[in-house]
Amino acid sequence: MGVTTQTGAVILAQQSIAPPPIHYSAIAPVLIVLGAACLAVLVEAFVPRRLRWSVQVGLSLCTLVAAGAWLVVYARGEPMGLTTLADTLAIDTPTLFLWGTLLVLGLASILLIADRSVEPGGAFVAESSAAPSPSPRAASGGSTGGTATSIAPAPTPAPARATASVAEMRTEVFPLGLFSLGGMMVFCAANDLLTMFIALEALSLPLYVMCGLARRRRLLSQEAAVKYFLLGAFASAFFLYGLALLYGYAGSVELSAIADATAGSLRSDTLLFAGLGLLVVGLLFKGSVGPFHMWTPDVYHGAPTAVTGFMAACTKVAAFGAILRVLHVAFEASSWEWHWVLWTVAVVSMVIGAVLGLTQSDIKRMVAYSSIAHAGFLLIGAITLTDEGLSATLFYLLAYGVTTIAVFGVISLVRTSEGEATHLSAWSGLAKRSPLIAWVFTFLLLALAGIPLTSGFMGKFVVFSAALTAGMAPLVVIALVASAVAAFFYLRVIVLMHFNEPAPDGPTVSVPGAFTTAAITLGVVVTLLLGVLPTPVLDWASVGGFVS
Amino acid sequence: MLALVVSHLLVALALPWVAARNTRAAFTVAALPPAAALVWTLGHAGAVLGGQEIVESLAWAPRLGLEITFRLDPLALLMTVLVSGIGVLVLLYCPGYFGPGSADGRRSAPLLLAFAGVMLGLVLADDLLLVYVFWELTTICSFLLVGQSGISREQRRSAMQALVVTIFGGLVMLLGFVVLGEAAGTYRISELVADPPGGGAMAAAAVLILIGAFTKSAQLPFHNWLPAAMVAPTPVSAYLHAASMVKAGVFLVARLTPVFAGVVAWPVLTAVFGLLTMIVAGWRALHEYDLKILLAYGTVSQLGFVMVLVGAGTHTGAVAGTAMLLAHGLFKSALFLVVGIVDHEAGSRDIRELSGLGRRLPWLVVIAVPAAASMAGLPPTLGFLGKEAAFEVFLHGGAGQAAIAAGLVLGSVFTVGYSARLLWGAFANKPGIPATAAHAPGAGLLLPAAVPALAGVVLGVVYPAVDELSAAYAAVFEAGTDPYHLALWHGLNLALLCSLIALAGGLVVHAARTPITRVRGRLVNPLNAQRAYERSMALLERVAVGVTGRVQAGSLPTYLGIILLTVLAVSGTALLTRSTPIEQFRAWDRILQVPLAIAILIAVAGVVRARRRLTAVLLVGVIGYGIGGIFIIDGAPDLALTQFLVETLTLVAFVFVLRRLPVRFTQSDPAPGLRWVKMLIAVGGGVFMAFASMIFSSARQTPSGVSEQYIARAEQGAGATNVVNAIIVDFRAFDTIGEISVLAVAATGVASLILTSRHERRRRRGSLPITERSAADESAAPGNAGAAGPIRPGTGEDPQGRDPRQEEVRE
Repeated sequence: MGVTTQTGAVILAQQSIAPPPIHYSAIAPVLIVLGAACLAVLVEAFVPRRLRWSVQVGLSLCTLVAAGAWLVVYARGEPMGLTTLADTLAIDTPTLFLWGTLLVLGLASILLIADRSVEPGGAFVAESSAAPSPSPRAASGGSTGGTATSIAPAPTPAPARATASVAEMRTEVFPLGLFSLGGMMVFCAANDLLTMFIALEALSLPLYVMCGLARRRRLLSQEAAVKYFLLGAFASAFFLYGLALLYGYAGSVELSAIADATAGSLRSDTLLFAGLGLLVVGLLFKGSVGPFHMWTPDVYHGAPTAVTGFMAACTKVAAFGAILRVLHVAFEASSWEWHWVLWTVAVVSMVIGAVLGLTQSDIKRMVAYSSIAHAGFLLIGAITLTDEGLSATLFYLLAYGVTTIAVFGVISLVRTSEGEATHLSAWSGLAKRSPLIAWVFTFLLLALAGIPLTSGFMGKFVVFSAALTAGMAPLVVIALVASAVAAFFYLRVIVLMHFNEPAPDGPTVSVPGAFTTAAITLGVVVTLLLGVLPTPVLDWASVGGFVS
Repeated sequence: MLALVVSHLLVALALPWVAARNTRAAFTVAALPPAAALVWTLGHAGAVLGGQEIVESLAWAPRLGLEITFRLDPLALLMTVLVSGIGVLVLLYCPGYFGPGSADGRRSAPLLLAFAGVMLGLVLADDLLLVYVFWELTTICSFLLVGQSGISREQRRSAMQALVVTIFGGLVMLLGFVVLGEAAGTYRISELVADPPGGGAMAAAAVLILIGAFTKSAQLPFHNWLPAAMVAPTPVSAYLHAASMVKAGVFLVARLTPVFAGVVAWPVLTAVFGLLTMIVAGWRALHEYDLKILLAYGTVSQLGFVMVLVGAGTHTGAVAGTAMLLAHGLFKSALFLVVGIVDHEAGSRDIRELSGLGRRLPWLVVIAVPAAASMAGLPPTLGFLGKEAAFEVFLHGGAGQAAIAAGLVLGSVFTVGYSARLLWGAFANKPGIPATAAHAPGAGLLLPAAVPALAGVVLGVVYPAVDELSAAYAAVFEAGTDPYHLALWHGLNLALLCSLIALAGGLVVHAARTPITRVRGRLVNPLNAQRAYERSMALLERVAVGVTGRVQAGSLPTYLGIILLTVLAVSGTALLTRSTPIEQFRAWDRILQVPLAIAILIAVAGVVRARRRLTAVLLVGVIGYGIGGIFIIDGAPDLALTQFLVETLTLVAFVFVLRRLPVRFTQSDPAPGLRWVKMLIAVGGGVFMAFASMIFSSARQTPSGVSEQYIARAEQGAGATNVVNAIIVDFRAFDTIGEISVLAVAATGVASLILTSRHERRRRRGSLPITERSAADESAAPGNAGAAGPIRPGTGEDPQGRDPRQEEVRE
């Protein structure tokens, strides 16, 4: 890797080179998160086993709070946008907003991950025993078929489940999560494609591992991890190939240099557009935008629910942060040539998400398809290429992320003795067993559907009106139709919960522990606040554009 | 006004606690906020009718242009009286209907109150976006009220249908609002009315908004959700489906007609769809046996009528529309409540089962007759005033106007017909049916029904009050020299003749009900909106299932295929459309390249076809060595050497792994068709890559400055004849060192992990049962989860026993 690219300054080795200045105060949140991640690895190595969980949770939460506090202090000083670390990172208002979003979502995710009361011992692979439970494939809604991963015969059932249920969870998930979060923060601040690629890997690799850590339904979880890894590797390869082509085009990987090259040069457009196409494939894959969404339902379904929440919310924020930056900074001048491609992609994503979501009988898969539809809506905001569209997309990201994490928090509560009851039939009549949870979930689903007085409505509203102003009326019409179709499947769940009779052997609703309660409450309160009083957040989101 | 709306919602929030203890108290408490709203509004009525409007405004989200603005003008005044007045009556009616302590009652009290508050907000709102917000909230409240406990499948389906149709309409309407607001630069309704924008966008906005209004007011072709929603408890129907929610669409049209005065499509669409709705639904109502469904179709029909009037955009139309709006709200809620009493006391609402109730429930007849008379348009009721005015609107124009007037007369004939059918069906003595037993209803049930019924008559008699209200709203339209005024007697004129025709025709239709029903039975009905709705929903579901089954099969090859196809489509199109010439194209440089290339291709084909794992691995090796050979021919022996080395190492590693895997690939062959598809995609991907790399390398610019410097300085600066070597060990030596250190650390880490797990395994062996042992092995290498996956060899050996070199290759 190291031999590929850098600026030419190095060869002038005879002169003394001044190291590039580093604005530590600007990048402190990233440093805090990554430093804490390293520290957490050490904790894993040296702290005695019985203390590990509490130390790790405390460390992670403190880290996120400290990073967030620093961010708030720094942002209150109304800093100018700047680039630092030899122009590899751009710390501007969108970056700060995305970092704030990521830290809030990361905090909620860590709370969900840390919960040990809902699933005794935590939802992750246990310390002493990690025997796979019997094959759960029969329960998986449609994720069968001739997969490359189903070569092996089914593993022996585990008689050790009794011991597994009391064993403590492994705590590697905390440093992994912190590393991933750090990668995401770098990803949406990266000012050149190479940094972006490294951040992409830094955020992805821990996620692959985290997907495979479920305590229950081991096979499904590991299959999800392998699928995600293989497809993710492909997407990374596309990204890298696109990067190489763009380097060939512009002679630099810096976004601003690419922008300069696109604005009035006679160079071959072929490299530019082929490169952009491949680059965007990699980014869209991470944002689970159709038609690069195929991994989403399977992985959301298989991964531990807390991790799914983390992936669904944080990865989407990071991916769209990067998409926004790439499109706004590097490719704005050439947008006339490529915009129809992303128009098509947005339409495909919305249609796939809305229509395929209708048939899902598993709640996690349903939310996965909803995330694909939402990715389409987000993409509409991203390709407006206006300041209005930028702030709208940022707002939408925050609104969507918070709601999604709370949704997965609630999903983790509804359980049978087999684990989470994610099949929709198990949710019928939930309002009669547990009215509070049912109403909370109803509210969150209404937010996902975009009903007024929820953040979902505000998000859709700002994105769609920005798109209309940018002259994308046909896209907005399709988006509204897609919202209407998607509303249908959210509403079906609401009907199911409130109006159906509960099944006699239906699931119980666990009493959530303090951590899960905190995460869900955070999600619900923010969803409501953003729906009723969006102004402060919108103000913050629309202070300024990207610097490069 | 904000305080009024908020107080509704706050009380509704607190109400469940009251309702859990005492339902009657809950309904009484719930009636207080609407009563307060009614009193407040009536207190300001004088000022409003005098031309003074009351405005309250609060910035909500200024950046979005969202603000909470309420405005009490004549139209809002009328609607508030309806919404709050009927709301109070229905809430007072509820305890008698639900009975103490019923679950439906407990659930309904807060929801009804919340609905009243939201509806109040909707009619007072002066901002399009605020209108939309309240619009969707009424949809949700109505959904919960119609669904109720959802015991029956029918209830669930109806609630769902109402929700889907109205939410769809709401979203379309929002789009229309945004188009309108962007065209005008403001979302304030009062500003829009004062200064209507022009331009081509207005027609689009008009159509979109009308779709929203049509869905809410149950106009053709969206009308069928309303009869389906009749599974709701009767007080809910009386309030939502007669007085308030379904009026929202008509109200919106009335609000926006001045804005769309310049759009031709507006009056045409409202007239066409309104008339169709009025006639079709009236025809349906003539044949229903369930009194409530009959009333529902009647409501649909009347809403169509009002839609025609308020959309007309003339002064007389506005007067007639407001009069009918008020009249319909009064008589329809009264009739719904009456039917509710019949249902409650006699236990049935089926015309074929009820008989002789008129004699048993005389007070009920006293209430029902004036209400039905108002519906039929008999003097001296408010309905008569409205209908007279309505005929007047269209009697003095061209052929189109006359056609509308004829349609209205036909619709009115049906109206009179089903009004008679209602009275006859509920109260008449029917031969052959035993007299129905019924309890006497209490005053708590009768009074709320009596008030609107009587109000219809009283307001008909003291018509100047209504006229003043109508004229105040109609003032936005050009009045002409002699503006129309509501009155009981206009002299002998065409409108009176129309009324008489309608009355006579209706009575004839009622008298001839049996033959007419028979005729209808013979008519084929090709267009059934209910069936269309069900079919489109089923189609959507089928498409979704089909596509999911094909696309989301859980199969990695499929997923990859889709990604590859998309890349081909996107980047491939970019390549094709901007055909960059391939410069200096030569088939080969040296003849030796040809046999090598052919060998590689054969090996590739062999890999794909191989059944045994070892064969495949060896063939992959052949490909690698072949490429190494090409390197040699091109004069890069060092590169070739590296290639051979890596290839050999990989091969050895593979062989170590293969020891533990089955000999053959276990996956069975896919269907032959699928095979061809996969092959096509794969070949396409390969060809794309090949062409792409040729084009890309020919599209290269002159070498960058860095490369030139490297080449220039390699010889004298680094003393190397090989630039690559010079870069690695000299120019970028620090990078190389860093890279080596990272690799070393990684290798050490992997090695130590493997050694630890071996050590632990030895220590544990013998002391643990087998399952525990393999579990411990699995958990010992968390970092490998991605690579290890669920693939476990069937031999029962643990996966960590593999060669460490393989790990390094992976790094």
